[in-house]
Amino acid sequence: MWNGLYLGDRMLTSEERERYDRQIMIREIGEAGQEKLKRARVAIAGVGGIGSPVALYLTAAGIGKIRMIDHDHVTLSNLNRQVLHWEDDIGKKKVDSARTKLRQLNRAVEIETIPETLTEENVSRLVEGCDAIVDAMDNLPTRYLLNRCAIKNRIPFFHGAVHGFEGRALTILPGKTACLRCMFRGPVPQEKFPVIGVVPAMIGSIQATEVIKYFTGIGELLTNRLLIYDGLRVVFNEFAVKRNPECDHCGSLSGEE
Amino acid sequence: MPVRVHIHLTHRQFTDGLDVVAVEGNTVGECLDQLVKQFPKMEQALFAKKDKLLNIVEVYVNQSSAYPNELAKPVKDGDEIHLILMLAGG
Repeated sequence: MWNGLYLGDRMLTSEERERYDRQIMIREIGEAGQEKLKRARVAIAGVGGIGSPVALYLTAAGIGKIRMIDHDHVTLSNLNRQVLHWEDDIGKKKVDSARTKLRQLNRAVEIETIPETLTEENVSRLVEGCDAIVDAMDNLPTRYLLNRCAIKNRIPFFHGAVHGFEGRALTILPGKTACLRCMFRGPVPQEKFPVIGVVPAMIGSIQATEVIKYFTGIGELLTNRLLIYDGLRVVFNEFAVKRNPECDHCGSLSGEE
Repeated sequence: MPVRVHIHLTHRQFTDGLDVVAVEGNTVGECLDQLVKQFPKMEQALFAKKDKLLNIVEVYVNQSSAYPNELAKPVKDGDEIHLILMLAGG
């Protein structure tokens, strides 16, 4: 009985085969890859500029369970970039606004919403049971909080950040590859950042691509390679980063370099 | 052949719009000193105090992170230094 339930949950339905036909056609994904996506559980921390495209594309791709974490409410000034939220959503919780759209996009995806602020005290609980964490936050302190939690719980962590026409992305496999904290030089003052929506769209799409590649086990992840996107020139630059044995988040973890 | 320093987009206002500045030096620190001599406003853009980079500044030499002790990292003619700013927005 248990085995049957498990198989039923794992295997694709005929509707899912039709829905995902174009990506199942990709040789590297195939039906086996689609089943892996269906079993995946992803936490998206932040449902703003970056979190919107991440949630949209992971929902469209058929990730099984998506947990969205964001305490904030939609405001007019969010709408230039946070494409899951529309004019009628102003004043609503972002996670509720996002869930409404995602449900319309793909009802097969289980959407869980947590309208809480991430803190030292609750971060482990909020990401519990997830196989991946997407960093779609808007400030460094919370990014480091998530980084440490991901490292501690050995959950792959998909970082992305933006400013103006520039963005960056890095994939972190705890204990194996450089983490966000490995190059920490000290606190950075918080500021209201300028941004145009097409940049988080680009970076969020890259993070979602990384998540899909990670679960399907294909391609080459953006590990130990910091990707910098210059939207004004449309140039991608890549910089090698490495684990820091002195890192206060991952330095003590064993694993291959 | 000099060392080429790639200037961040937001700093080009301090380098007369130049995106790459040629300097001489045996270390990253020496190269940045030269950069500041040519364009004094870069000092405030890069340094918290003498020999201490701002926390937001990241240095890469030949596409690899120079962290830690970035300023002491040796460089040679033909090397490329990229000055990148940490981003936090989402």
